Amino acid sequence: MSERRDSRRFFGASVEQSMDALYGAALRLTRNGADAEDLVAESVAKAWSAIDTLEDRQRFRPWMFRILRNCFVSDCRKRSIRPAEVLYDEAFRDEGEADLAPLLIEQSDEFLAWWADPERELINERLGENIMAAIEALPESYRMTVLLVNVEGLGYDEAAEVLGVPPGTVRSRMKRGRTLLQKALWEQALDAGLNAPDDRDEVNR
Amino acid sequence: MSDPGDLDAPEEIGCLEAIETLYAYLDGELGDAQSLARVEHHLGHCRSCYSRKELELALTEHLRRSARSRAPAQLQARMRKLLDEF
Repeated sequence: MSERRDSRRFFGASVEQSMDALYGAALRLTRNGADAEDLVAESVAKAWSAIDTLEDRQRFRPWMFRILRNCFVSDCRKRSIRPAEVLYDEAFRDEGEADLAPLLIEQSDEFLAWWADPERELINERLGENIMAAIEALPESYRMTVLLVNVEGLGYDEAAEVLGVPPGTVRSRMKRGRTLLQKALWEQALDAGLNAPDDRDEVNR
Repeated sequence: MSDPGDLDAPEEIGCLEAIETLYAYLDGELGDAQSLARVEHHLGHCRSCYSRKELELALTEHLRRSARSRAPAQLQARMRKLLDEF
């Protein structure tokens, strides 16, 4: 009896603490405020009915995120949307990881020149405005991985638990997701009229 | 190459390897002490990789600020009601 009460108290407090994060994750999955609220409510109800499966209370967040994600997949199935299409845009999966680091190094000089630019404050404002657009443009599997780790602060093993993949996959998705994010931000900056470093040299002369 | 007299100096790595491990390093996921020492040693003397690290930290901070969502008041009220029913 008191064990149940203790569980309920723990569960209620944990849900309250995670509410913003759960809503944020739901919003990014459903892309719709009303659907996100329904998804959070459905997931919390499901989580309470499965509270006995939570073996380690320290791992409440990955456990809860995983239930939220599973509810989303299940809802997609009910609506005859193939979750694989929604959750895993695998268009990049088969690209070799070997080409990733040279791409970063190649991109690095230009990007760092941009970062060191005196107009940085202005760029920072643009970054803030554009960063969500860049995140939205990422393939779903990379987007969720980057958000779970960088925004929600989950460890690689916790993110792996949520996404149902090995930790090594989280590690490689982080690398690739962040690279793609930088590439998108750089392209957005150029589209917004920012001069590439070479052009700027031309102007300054 | 490391100074042969300095046995404790971490093995030198190139920019390629440093960048390969940079995200795991920044995310606190670089488990073994040797890899950690190698990356930190490289970042200590490679200006380009150090700048990239700073850039990554700043981008993560931007990302964290921009991506945070706040649960609407109506959801919070709905959840309180739901939790009361348990």
